[in-house]
Amino acid sequence: MTDLQFPNEESVLNYFQELVTSDQQVIQKVELEALLAQYSKLAKNLSRMIRISDKNENRLQNISSELNAEKKKMEAVADQLSRYLPSQVYKSIFAGDHAVEIKTKRKLLTVFFSDIKGFTEISSNLQPEVLTYYINKYFSALSDVAIRHGATIDKFIGDAMMIFFGDPESKGDKEDALACVRMAVEMQAQLSKLNAEWAEEGLQYPLLTRIGINTGWCNVGNFGSADRMAYTIIGGEVNLAARLESQCQPTGVLISGETFGLVQDFVDVEEKESVTLKGINRPVRTYSVRRLLDGSEKENLPINLDIPGHKQVHVNTPELSLPDRLAFIANLRRALLILEGPQSD
Amino acid sequence: MENIQIPAAQRTPSLNLDVVNRLFVLEGESYPEDTRKFYEEPISQVVAFISQKHQDQVTCKFKLKYFNSSSAKVIMDLCTAIESSAKGGNRIKVEWHYIADDDNMKELGEEFSEELSSAEFELIEY
Repeated sequence: MTDLQFPNEESVLNYFQELVTSDQQVIQKVELEALLAQYSKLAKNLSRMIRISDKNENRLQNISSELNAEKKKMEAVADQLSRYLPSQVYKSIFAGDHAVEIKTKRKLLTVFFSDIKGFTEISSNLQPEVLTYYINKYFSALSDVAIRHGATIDKFIGDAMMIFFGDPESKGDKEDALACVRMAVEMQAQLSKLNAEWAEEGLQYPLLTRIGINTGWCNVGNFGSADRMAYTIIGGEVNLAARLESQCQPTGVLISGETFGLVQDFVDVEEKESVTLKGINRPVRTYSVRRLLDGSEKENLPINLDIPGHKQVHVNTPELSLPDRLAFIANLRRALLILEGPQSD
Repeated sequence: MENIQIPAAQRTPSLNLDVVNRLFVLEGESYPEDTRKFYEEPISQVVAFISQKHQDQVTCKFKLKYFNSSSAKVIMDLCTAIESSAKGGNRIKVEWHYIADDDNMKELGEEFSEELSSAEFELIEY
């Protein structure tokens, strides 16, 4: 027997079991009537149980369908809301890794700023609908590249874009900086193609972009009030990235010394003027990115030595044999010793 | 006979028998992991109480939001005992309470009412 209670049914079965196993040879009509009555009741109860079970099953199916519909609705709403947040923040909130509260932390981040040269003039010369069309295409293109490189897109401010690497996800300081620089170079390449296409379409004003990148310690997290907050970054290093962007040549990528220090094996650069920024007590060296390299290319870059008062010395390192390379290194070390003079302990 | 007061839990209803006021109430959701274990003892006491001779009306209130098939069997057997007691001369009223838009629970009450011809039966919407 199952765990269900069948006391009445069991007693009926026991009664008739006794009857069958008894010495009684003749079943009385009254006993048959009792059997019939009990069997009828049993059949009626069974039928009722089946109907009750089916009703419950239908009810559960309906509830399940309603819950599925509600779940789909919530997923659609969540998907729409996700467009207003950096995708990594959205994912980490749903994973339970990101608390939605006013809270920040200090972290080493690589920060990116971009904007369009002469945007004020461009926007006064274009119809609003045309401007909207192209600026959305512009931001879509840059956002696609950013997402592919794992960037956290912080915000769009007019024609400017602010992005950072290192939070909520980080692959390490070097990898983050490198991903940012690679992203920036790809953005400029992509924009070059797009500006050519848009010129074909009739856009008279190319959207030439300046990009500034800096790596430094920032405060990252939720700023604002408990009722309305924004996930973003603040700090002097963020301001420096913005300043670099304003110094950058259109279609260029200008990176700080800090960023260069992390990516130097993978970029060919030209050093530019240092910048000073209020609140940062040292001039910041800046570098314009010429092109990306793979790690081995760095060994074969030509060397250009600028010596004040003398002609520039050019050494085409790919042409140096190994013995010549080693001899050159030894000569440079001797020159360094002479230039630095005796070192006091 | 003593009162019974079993509070509701996640899968079982509250089960109360007030012998002085002759009131039995089963309220909540019923899908116990072990139906026999939950119901055997208290329901046998309730059946024993209902089967006694009573001068005044005995009221049995069912106010369930959901019950599974094995719980339905318990309710069915209880209704059989109620009907038997009513046929024996006791005045017994069964109140079947259901939430306003819960047609399913109303229909289930109507199913059980088919068992009751001597006992009084009332469907109550809340």
